[in-house]
Amino acid sequence: MENPEQLLRKGVHHEALKQGAVKAVLGGMAWGVVLIALLIFGRICWDGAPVLLKPEFPFVDTAFLTEKTETLHVFDDASGTRHSLPASEYHGWVEKHGAESIFNETTYSYSGGGIAGPIVGTALLTLLSIVLALFFGVSAAIYLSEYAKDGAFIRWVRLAILNLAGVPSIVFGLFGFAVFVLAAPVFTDTPSERSLLAIPLGFTWFSFQGWNSSLIAGSATLACMILPVIITASEESLKAVPQGFREASLALGATRWHTIRKCVLPFALPGILTSSILSLARAAGETAPIMFTVAVAAKDDFPWEGATGPLGVLQSQVQALPYHIYTLAARIPSSDYTQRAQYGSVFVFLLMIFLFSTVSIILRNRVRSKLKW
Amino acid sequence: MPDSPTPTSVPADHPFRRKGRSTDGLFRAFFAGNAGLTIVILVLIIVFLVREGAGFFPDYRKELVLYRKAGLEFVDLSRKDLTAHEQMSSLLNRAYYAQVNAACRTEFQRSQEVSAVISYVSDAVAPAQSALERVQERAGEEGVPKELQDSLSAKYKELLAAALAGKPGEGLPPTPHLSSEERRQLLSELEARDPLSSDDPPLVVALQEQLSAKQEQASAPLADFRAAIDAFADASLDLDTLVAETGDTVKATKEAATLHEIEIEKRATLLKAAASAKTEEAKAQFETEARESVTTEPVEFKTALQPVLDRTPDFKAANAALAAALAEVQRKLPASLEDPKAGRYLSAFRKAAGEYERELSDTVPAMAAWKHDAPVGLGSTIMGFITGRDWITGGEWQDFYGIVPLFTGSLLIAVIALSLAIPLGVGAAIYTNQLAGPGEQKFIKPTIEFLQAIPSVVLGFLGIAVLGTILQETSMKDAFSWVPGFPIQQRLNMFTAGCLLGLMAIPTIFSLSEDALNNVPSAFAEASDALGASKLQTIFRVVLPAAISGILAAVLLGLGRVIGETMVVLLVAGNRIEIPDFTEGLGVFFQPAHTLTGIIAQELGEVPFGSVHYRALFVVGMILFAIVLSINWTAQRLLHKFRIGHD
Amino acid sequence: MRNHIRFTAASLVAGALLAATAGAQTISIKGSDTLGAKLVPQLAESFKSKNPGVKFEIAAEGSSTAFPALANGTAQIGMSSRKAKPEEITAARAKGIKLKEVEACHDMIVVIVNKGNPLKKLTKDQVAKIFTGQVKDWSEVGGTPGPISIYTRNTSSGTYKDWQTLAMKGRNYAGGSQKLAGNEQIAQEVAKNKNGIGYVGLAYAKSSGVHDVSIDGVEPVASNAKKYAYSRACYYYIPENAEATAKSFLDFAVGSEGQKIAQRLGFVPN
Repeated sequence: MENPEQLLRKGVHHEALKQGAVKAVLGGMAWGVVLIALLIFGRICWDGAPVLLKPEFPFVDTAFLTEKTETLHVFDDASGTRHSLPASEYHGWVEKHGAESIFNETTYSYSGGGIAGPIVGTALLTLLSIVLALFFGVSAAIYLSEYAKDGAFIRWVRLAILNLAGVPSIVFGLFGFAVFVLAAPVFTDTPSERSLLAIPLGFTWFSFQGWNSSLIAGSATLACMILPVIITASEESLKAVPQGFREASLALGATRWHTIRKCVLPFALPGILTSSILSLARAAGETAPIMFTVAVAAKDDFPWEGATGPLGVLQSQVQALPYHIYTLAARIPSSDYTQRAQYGSVFVFLLMIFLFSTVSIILRNRVRSKLKW
Repeated sequence: MPDSPTPTSVPADHPFRRKGRSTDGLFRAFFAGNAGLTIVILVLIIVFLVREGAGFFPDYRKELVLYRKAGLEFVDLSRKDLTAHEQMSSLLNRAYYAQVNAACRTEFQRSQEVSAVISYVSDAVAPAQSALERVQERAGEEGVPKELQDSLSAKYKELLAAALAGKPGEGLPPTPHLSSEERRQLLSELEARDPLSSDDPPLVVALQEQLSAKQEQASAPLADFRAAIDAFADASLDLDTLVAETGDTVKATKEAATLHEIEIEKRATLLKAAASAKTEEAKAQFETEARESVTTEPVEFKTALQPVLDRTPDFKAANAALAAALAEVQRKLPASLEDPKAGRYLSAFRKAAGEYERELSDTVPAMAAWKHDAPVGLGSTIMGFITGRDWITGGEWQDFYGIVPLFTGSLLIAVIALSLAIPLGVGAAIYTNQLAGPGEQKFIKPTIEFLQAIPSVVLGFLGIAVLGTILQETSMKDAFSWVPGFPIQQRLNMFTAGCLLGLMAIPTIFSLSEDALNNVPSAFAEASDALGASKLQTIFRVVLPAAISGILAAVLLGLGRVIGETMVVLLVAGNRIEIPDFTEGLGVFFQPAHTLTGIIAQELGEVPFGSVHYRALFVVGMILFAIVLSINWTAQRLLHKFRIGHD
Repeated sequence: MRNHIRFTAASLVAGALLAATAGAQTISIKGSDTLGAKLVPQLAESFKSKNPGVKFEIAAEGSSTAFPALANGTAQIGMSSRKAKPEEITAARAKGIKLKEVEACHDMIVVIVNKGNPLKKLTKDQVAKIFTGQVKDWSEVGGTPGPISIYTRNTSSGTYKDWQTLAMKGRNYAGGSQKLAGNEQIAQEVAKNKNGIGYVGLAYAKSSGVHDVSIDGVEPVASNAKKYAYSRACYYYIPENAEATAKSFLDFAVGSEGQKIAQRLGFVPN
């Protein structure tokens, strides 16, 4: 018979082994996911960072960020040297050396120059959509946290917010296309055929015929998409403001609105803004909603060039980084010459998104530690 | 959710509250309106999806009515047989060639190796070679400038020498099935090749001859089989001509009917334009154009169809010929073929033969029962959409909208994604929440959350540029040939897309599962510990069961995200609109597919507003919306119903 | 509801100003990917180098996108790799836009296979059988055994429809065909799949990793444009009352210099 002491130890040993194994498996999963994330990030940095960096001072090459997108021409000259030039330089080269000295030419669309157009487009889109979403979202949150009493209306609103948050982005694309591009109201002299309803105003028509594919249509679509996130985040920030602030203000005779404006909003605002940066990242990152509502593959001028007035800008189509990446991924074959454009754009894009996310996380932590009541 | 603290400690009739009440009411109404905006948006989404989509079924029904009236459906009854027959003869052909080629495997390998070497060398010298060609082309009368010609030739020689000098394995592809003498011969032939000629080196020709000789030799004993196949294949010639001829007739009928309709519509549009024209001149012009716009007579379907119906006896004869050919070929088929692959094709043929025979025998009664003016019910149109196996658009014959292939694609991809994301996401959550130290937690959590921030289009790009190629190349390795579906043919397939979507679902599942585990009251774990349970027992017997509803909700939300995702599947899934071939077992996951989201993104930009196709895409959107919402709704219900430690 | 009023008011203001603004000096070109992926951007770049100040906006999502854009006035020039359908012309006409058709250049649709595929020639009949799915294995057309993977353009493409008429007698594509966004993508996928087959415009037949196939013994090279089975013309469409800049760009595109660029890219000049 074995020593019971030994048996016990054996059991414990067995148990410890099992525990170790399970822990190793679970840990492997967690660290595996982390490893994949790091691999993805590493791969993009590895191929993308060189586009923005250069070996000598100041180590940053901004050309990629400030130049417009062009066709890339790759060719040999008479001596067999390989050149890869964007279209603007290429035409100069041809004029100087003559078309006869070009051999084995291949061209890659959208792969030369930089990505100034997409960056500007994405910046405008996100800015506009966040402004729209903040305006409507914060107002809605104020109602939900400051005014609302439980009731049917509130239940419906909460249900709508919950459901809106789950709508797939492509459905937002369809929605934006059907509503903003094809059916939103405009003033026009000649109502379009597709107009749902045209009301004559005498000097002009008020026609529900849509804003066409334009900055305003795209931003409105994105704003609808991030609205639930903004409302939820804002409501949380508003609720975090201590009840005493309101009570003190009301006790001093301030109106409800005055109380909100002076004693609630200022304290909730940092929280609202930081969490909305996160939705900024989402708005900047989505492709499906902007495919049909605003994005174009190639555009020479910035939206404000050639536009008549600030509203011409709203009316113009723009390039956008995610759509640009889609175009590069779907239409341009990967080769040594297109890598710069492809990985460069992806790198810049990720950098932008991560910047937003990181800033929002850091700010959130600071706001939390600062505003302790 | 904790109760919303309503700051109403001041009684409503208190004097403090009177001042500014009216403006306050205004503000209140304004904010309430903005809160209502969410409802408005949701309603607008539903209204516009339904508004654009609802017209689909009547319009599609109208198309189907025309499809029937013009007789396209009648011809398709026979065309179906024809297609089945073609599939059957393709099976036999493949069996035959598999058997023949089985004997020539070495020869194929030899010529493949040779062509690999040649294409490697031609790639290497391509710059100089095409430059030489260009120079030659441009030269004209003056001839090529000597120096240029020389410098290019020198460059060519240099590149060629560099390419040929490479040892097997480093650059120059290996040729294990060629003798070293043959290899030397090949290289010297390549070296001697005129840069401007595109002729194959003699060795290639010789190898080709060897191959065909071997094929001939191998096919000699199979001559009877070959003859049987040819006889079988040729049996469809009559039906082929018949279908082509009658097909042209009915297509012409359909086109005439469509044209007439277009012209009537054109007249209406022009008249409308005339009515709103600004100047008299323009108005007059529009009116003249409107008068001239209708040039055709309405189509008399019955008379137009008569010549086709008159050929019913021919159809019957052709049908009988097919049936006879099937019986004939079944008698003449070899009992078995040596090559396993050929044998598989042959047994597939035998298995399919019964089905095919039934189909053939069904055709004649179906033709007899067919009526061009039988009504097409709205119900059958809807069923046709929901159960349709074809999504054919932009075709010349007839467009069909069937959602099954798209739905299967979405579903299979979701299965792949979830089978990756559930173990990884939940496992990582358990580890992080229960087992990891605080330092580890601080690193793991933000990293996985960062994963969520990666936009889907970036993952799609990585799928095309990196993951697809890596998976394909890995699958080519012999070590993995046991995996079903390997080697992967198509670089863009459901598995690649599923992996990436799984990656997108992991953060969702991870964070929500972690929350669920966090929400389990610590008393549970403490009680378990106090009773002497080990750490693992506590986790798997106490904490996990308590959090299971939250974890389920997390999985469902992850599923919602996967189904609704667009860019990854559009870029990576391969866009093949066909129900995947489930006979391949698990290999089915390595086939390409199209999805509900992908089809909208791919086709919406192109379709004319208001067309049937356009409306079909909105119906797909509606279905997608309904699926995702019900998934999310179930998840929310789960979360609320089974929450432990709250309420 | 209050918010509805606000919403409408906001859109009213925006809409009013949107409607008040007019089109700028930008030439917007939309339509075919065959023309718009390479040729037109390069024509535009070359035109710009001579006429500074002119701006372009190019969207190449398929021929079918050209006509709605022209009719709505969101494009000044349409690119199409097929002739406009009567209903498309009418739709534009009803909005007061008369479209003029200009032949851009000729294009040949080339069948490409993977570089490792020793197959050099096919007959028209074999091509039709492959793309309709009657032939499923390379050994059936005399190639190295292996299941055929078909890569086609997607339905918005003019090439998709042209191919159906030219090569497949109007029959439907095989269910197993994969629908890709552009010529370059087809070339890339065929290059990655040793059993792949696809079709691309002549300009893309020289991509790396693929080689072209002669059809009925005719090599797909520009000099064979007349004999080759799958040749077609590509078109520009422009409203008759278009702006002068758009017109002069079109003149440039079909003029000798533009045609030279087209030739360099592998199109066949008029």
